[in-house]
Amino acid sequence: MKKQKKYFKSPYIKGNEEYLHNEFSEKLPLDGLFEDDKQLSSTATSRRDFLKFLGFSTAAAVLSSCEAPVRKSIPYLNKPEEIIPGNPNFYASSCFEENVFSSLLVKTREGRPISIKSNDKYLFNQGGLNARTYASVLSLYDSSRLREPQDKEGVFLENVDKKVVDRLTKINNQGKQIVLITPTIISPTAKKVIALFSKKYKNVKVVYCDSISKSGILDSNKDCFGDRFIPTYEFQKSSVIVSFGADFISEWIDTGHAKQYGKTRTPGEEMSKHYQFESLLSLTGANSDKRIPVNPEEQLKCMLYLLEKIEELKGVKQSVNIQLDKHQKILDVIANELWANKGKSLVLCGSNNKDEQVITNYINNLLDNYGKTILTQVRSNLFSSNDNDLDIVIKDALDGKVGAIITNDYNLAYHYPKSKEILESNKIDFKASISQYLDETASMMDFVIPKSNYLESWGDFNPYTGVFTLQQPTISPIFETRQSEEILLNWSGDKTSYYNYLKKSFESEKKNWNDTLRDGVYIKQQSEKKYSFSVNITKHINNCLNMLEDKKEFICLYSKSSMGSGLQSNNPWLQELPDPISKTTWDNYLTISPAYAKKLNLKNWQVADGALNGDVVDLSFNEQVYRLPVYIQPGQAYGTFGLSFGYGRIKAGKVGNNIGVNAFELYDGNQLVQKDNFSIKKVDNMEHEFACTQISHTMMGRAIVKETSLSEYLKDPESGNEAMKFASYKGDVSPSELKLYEEHKPAMHFWNMSIDLNKCNGCGACIIACHAENNVPVVGKEEIRKNRDMHWLRLDRYYSSDMNKDLAAEQNTGAIQMYSEMEEASSAENLEVVFQPVMCQHCNNAPCENVCPVAATTHSNEGLNQMTYNRCIGTRYCLNNCPYKVRRFNWFNYKDNDNFDYNMNDDLGKMVLNPDVTVRARGVMEKCSMCIQNIQKAKLDAKKEGRKVRDGEIDCACETACDTGAIVFGDILDKSSRVVKEKKDPRSYVLLEELNTQPSVFYKTKVRNKKV
Amino acid sequence: MHYKSPVREPLILGNKDLHDITVDIARPIETKANRWWWALFAISFAAMLWLFGCIAYLIGTGVGVWGLNNSVGWAWDITNFVWWVGIGHAGTLISAVLLLFRQKWRLSINRSSEAMTIFAVVQAGLFPLIHMGRIWMAYWIFPLPNQFGSLWVNFNSPLLWDVFAISTYFSVSLVFWYMGLIPDFAMIRDRAINPIAKKIYTFLSFGWSGRAKHWQRHEVISLVLAGLATPLVLSVHSIVSMDFATSVVAGWHTTIFPPYFVAGAIFGGFAMCQTLLLIARKVLDLQDYITIKHMEYMNIIILVTGSIVGCAYLTELFIAWYSGVELEQYAFLDRATGSYWWAYAIMMTCNVISPQLMWFKKLRRNILFTFILALFVHIGMWFERFVIIITLHRGPLPSSWHDYSPTFVEIGTFVGTCGFFLVLFLLYSRTFPVIAQAELKTIVKSSSTKYNKNLHYLDAAELEKMNKINKKK
Repeated sequence: MKKQKKYFKSPYIKGNEEYLHNEFSEKLPLDGLFEDDKQLSSTATSRRDFLKFLGFSTAAAVLSSCEAPVRKSIPYLNKPEEIIPGNPNFYASSCFEENVFSSLLVKTREGRPISIKSNDKYLFNQGGLNARTYASVLSLYDSSRLREPQDKEGVFLENVDKKVVDRLTKINNQGKQIVLITPTIISPTAKKVIALFSKKYKNVKVVYCDSISKSGILDSNKDCFGDRFIPTYEFQKSSVIVSFGADFISEWIDTGHAKQYGKTRTPGEEMSKHYQFESLLSLTGANSDKRIPVNPEEQLKCMLYLLEKIEELKGVKQSVNIQLDKHQKILDVIANELWANKGKSLVLCGSNNKDEQVITNYINNLLDNYGKTILTQVRSNLFSSNDNDLDIVIKDALDGKVGAIITNDYNLAYHYPKSKEILESNKIDFKASISQYLDETASMMDFVIPKSNYLESWGDFNPYTGVFTLQQPTISPIFETRQSEEILLNWSGDKTSYYNYLKKSFESEKKNWNDTLRDGVYIKQQSEKKYSFSVNITKHINNCLNMLEDKKEFICLYSKSSMGSGLQSNNPWLQELPDPISKTTWDNYLTISPAYAKKLNLKNWQVADGALNGDVVDLSFNEQVYRLPVYIQPGQAYGTFGLSFGYGRIKAGKVGNNIGVNAFELYDGNQLVQKDNFSIKKVDNMEHEFACTQISHTMMGRAIVKETSLSEYLKDPESGNEAMKFASYKGDVSPSELKLYEEHKPAMHFWNMSIDLNKCNGCGACIIACHAENNVPVVGKEEIRKNRDMHWLRLDRYYSSDMNKDLAAEQNTGAIQMYSEMEEASSAENLEVVFQPVMCQHCNNAPCENVCPVAATTHSNEGLNQMTYNRCIGTRYCLNNCPYKVRRFNWFNYKDNDNFDYNMNDDLGKMVLNPDVTVRARGVMEKCSMCIQNIQKAKLDAKKEGRKVRDGEIDCACETACDTGAIVFGDILDKSSRVVKEKKDPRSYVLLEELNTQPSVFYKTKVRNKKV
Repeated sequence: MHYKSPVREPLILGNKDLHDITVDIARPIETKANRWWWALFAISFAAMLWLFGCIAYLIGTGVGVWGLNNSVGWAWDITNFVWWVGIGHAGTLISAVLLLFRQKWRLSINRSSEAMTIFAVVQAGLFPLIHMGRIWMAYWIFPLPNQFGSLWVNFNSPLLWDVFAISTYFSVSLVFWYMGLIPDFAMIRDRAINPIAKKIYTFLSFGWSGRAKHWQRHEVISLVLAGLATPLVLSVHSIVSMDFATSVVAGWHTTIFPPYFVAGAIFGGFAMCQTLLLIARKVLDLQDYITIKHMEYMNIIILVTGSIVGCAYLTELFIAWYSGVELEQYAFLDRATGSYWWAYAIMMTCNVISPQLMWFKKLRRNILFTFILALFVHIGMWFERFVIIITLHRGPLPSSWHDYSPTFVEIGTFVGTCGFFLVLFLLYSRTFPVIAQAELKTIVKSSSTKYNKNLHYLDAAELEKMNKINKKK
């Protein structure tokens, strides 16, 4: 039976059921009013009185309805010392979720965490946060979080600890195994807790699981160095980077890599050269200087060929001899470049296959990269799983050896679907889940113990050798939850709180607790092991050669920057964050190259309202059939099918349920590439509706993202950014010299923003940071499909096209044909990708300002284009007249509306709202304000302290979120500011200069390291 | 003595004398409506209710119930607005400009075309209101003192100019129309038997007694109002066109728009005149007053303005190419060959090619052909505005390109305004004198068949034949 909550109703209820149905048990004294006519006529109420009463009651009703609704706010009885209403507090903390470690600064307002930024005290590995970490603050306020311990039926469990301990002791006495399944743990104190747990219950088996395994790298290092570990990579010291399918900018080992890599991308002699061999078009491939689309077997061949070439250059014994059909020429070039940059290069591999990783290690070793760009003495602790462990657990469980299975913050049934067999069976006596959600796993367990969010938890982390961080709660647990360490601690018999336990354990550090907590980071010398490289390469090469089966079709699994492995599927910000490449939201789909789609007769097409539809296929894999839409992805290798992890959740919550297919079901043997036992069949008469934020592919030959090559740039820094001239009566002049209006005269400040297109890698973290800062609503798939996203900041992605104006002139192609060919992306081999963040450009000749009939959008004397929401009447003229199309209209009410059942429709979700920013009403226009609330705050702070606003003091959400520093915001009147320097750069240009809108946002030319 | 043109066809057929005219024009008001009227009224009324339903749903839910998006912020709403405003233009042109040019043939049609103007402007005015995100704040578009202190409207905004242009236009047209109606209302009053009707028409006729002083004042005010209304014919649609012309959107930002819009408006307005009057003359039995010759005159205006519009289209294309501005070139190429090529093709066919058939006298004097062609012009003119507005679907940055298609609410709103318009017109046709009889009577002597039997270019037999043909049709 489900547990029924009982509420207080009336003191009479108990024992007197009559009260339940009859509110007035005594007879009401109505006799005198209605029953006796005589009495009625003899009453003193005259017609006059009646009218008086009527008048009074009408007036009273009207008066009372005039009153504004009362909104109760509860003042502090004892005001907490640190909280000043209206002022934010920042706390240093850390997060380790889905194998992504980040050291953070959490912004809280009146006791609520509302946004996150990276902790600048944390410098190791360049730090950096990805979009998921930025969005995690919303997951704290997820209304589908577990609120209390419950059993299988959802009934509240009292004294859960005692019950669990009893059961575990019993199992322990039976001599059966207790299996604890947990993600990689990088917390030294948590490890102690687990040791304590293992000590209490003798037969405990702890299984570390990484949902997307890096076992291949770990194992390869065991073979090469004799120890199972992941080294740290130093991209910033690498001049030549060759990646075989490693998406290191977005989803590889460490978020810090993107920042490290960004450091080498400043145009100049020192700029790194990046080659990417890959099957799917990844974010990393999109950023590379030269991308070579290959299927997984070709990729391996290329790697082996590279090995052969490097060995040849090094003059060592040839361990392999491989024939390539194509790409030989480029690999010869790459080999020479790598050799010339010995010790300053990196060769990476994204595969989870040990042998391929060993080959990579071997090449790196030949290139003397170990100790220089790859540090074996500094280990990364972020991954630790062993691919076979779970298989053994299943086998043991089926053999009846396992008495208890406890999952700790790990969605076993989702990430490892095979485990459903044992979770469903009654072979295991005790099944418990420590989880934040009633997810796929927890819903199969006997005991579900709610776990706190990381923002409600204490902790310490040791992500890399010698690097430690602390985690502190920024809000007291919202529900009846404890952090998993505390739960395990209690089950181990230690009743102390985890906070005390942690503090006690910290005492050994001999450091000031408060200071360390404030910084969030501390360094401790740890023994750095020395490793030496030795491996029998022939064996691994032979294994690799055996893998070359000359297959034609491959399934390639990947993870998206928005979804990762699906932990935050129920986070609407992330569901609505477009994939950086496909620009698709709310969806999981099979990507396929245009050429292969043609072969299979699969299509994507636009319907009348401009939205994208696609064919649907049945993908049979290991006798299971998965129905998936097809998305045609330019740049993808022929014969490959891409499918993303993180979708196909059925118990994620109202937002994340039933979106697409669970790719973990295809993650056989933890291999990202599957080439056996599958087939694809088109489903006739069925189409899928996509929701893309960008449909078009190319720039149509317009100078939107200006681009040049490094060789040209070195000759002329203005290359690709030639000044635009208009013919006029004054001769050839730049557009800004042709004026119609008087210029705005900035008073004290003039805010400008620089966006370096060379540093921007298109990751999308800025979009989420902007959502959190500016209360940007979520609109859902249907609305995105109608091109009604509310993103204040969007990331445009353009593919190169094989057609251009010069070519058309050469070939005598007509304009109609030229433009239609321009719309097509280049063939996979030639495809180049550029990204461009576009937000309100804050034009000084703003087309939107002129046309608003009610002056709701106006220019500030600091150069900002301001939107006054409560003056807006919603004519949308500004939107039409905005050439950048950055204005966003509130087509509906997005808050408190059941049709938009996301975070703004429940009280918990609304706690994430930034109190400094208005939640916009239906029918008004909104857009980027350059985080004016933070500009005002910085100005006020400066005024109070009697100084000028310091450069970089203003926290523009996108600027702060940009790990690579592509975005710089500042005052152009402050001659020493960074933005002035950026503006003077010969690469700087404004978007659509020919319209002479004079934007305050300017871009810097993209420079690709290639020769023309 | 009036000068009698020896070559012009008579404008009043059927041997009508002054009294006949009174009787003919008072007839629809004094008799009961026939089944056709009721059928048409029922359909129009249903459509009108549907309109109000759509508007209620729109205001209750949000502009999102339309198919608009982040790139296409206007579509059917403003298309309909411009279309209806355009239709209004013919009325003013006929009553004001033709008055100043002393075109007598306007007399049979000016009343109805002015009514059409007013009813069309009512429809047009709906759209700028309901397209607002917050219609309850609509009064902010007027320069009113407000709680925001010195916050004023933005006089730079063409939308504000629209507010003034349309409201001026509406009020001048209304007054002008009413001025003409006064003597006719008085005529109805004098004939009315029903006491309620008599009361109403007495009130409406403002105490008109037909004294010479009244007539003199009436003439003067008509002339003054015509003078006032004439610039409005040019200004209103010029200003509407500036909604587009002053923007930075390629394909909108064109200096040719004001004259081109005015010509288009007259073109579309005359077509609507044709549509309404062809039905009205038949249903209300006014063939003797609204003759084939009237149709032919209007057809000639359609031909001329249609040709101007066609020239404008071609000029636009030429200038786009000649300007060398890439965005401009692409915008026009996309119009003709992009995803809305069919709209462009419909526009070109209906507005440029089909009116050219009016060069044939046979065709322009053919009632059925005229009627069908007028429908073509309505479609063409609607698509002209749609083609212009939908240019938004491909702006300067391809990343924000997105097509648009309407929802049932937008379609319902448009169809509903047609219903609303017809409801008003049908009610008008049975309560108002549909022809300015007082003025018409001034030409009975000069150009009716009765008083011009001896015109030598037509013999009596031939005239009789013409009368018969007219009657039949």
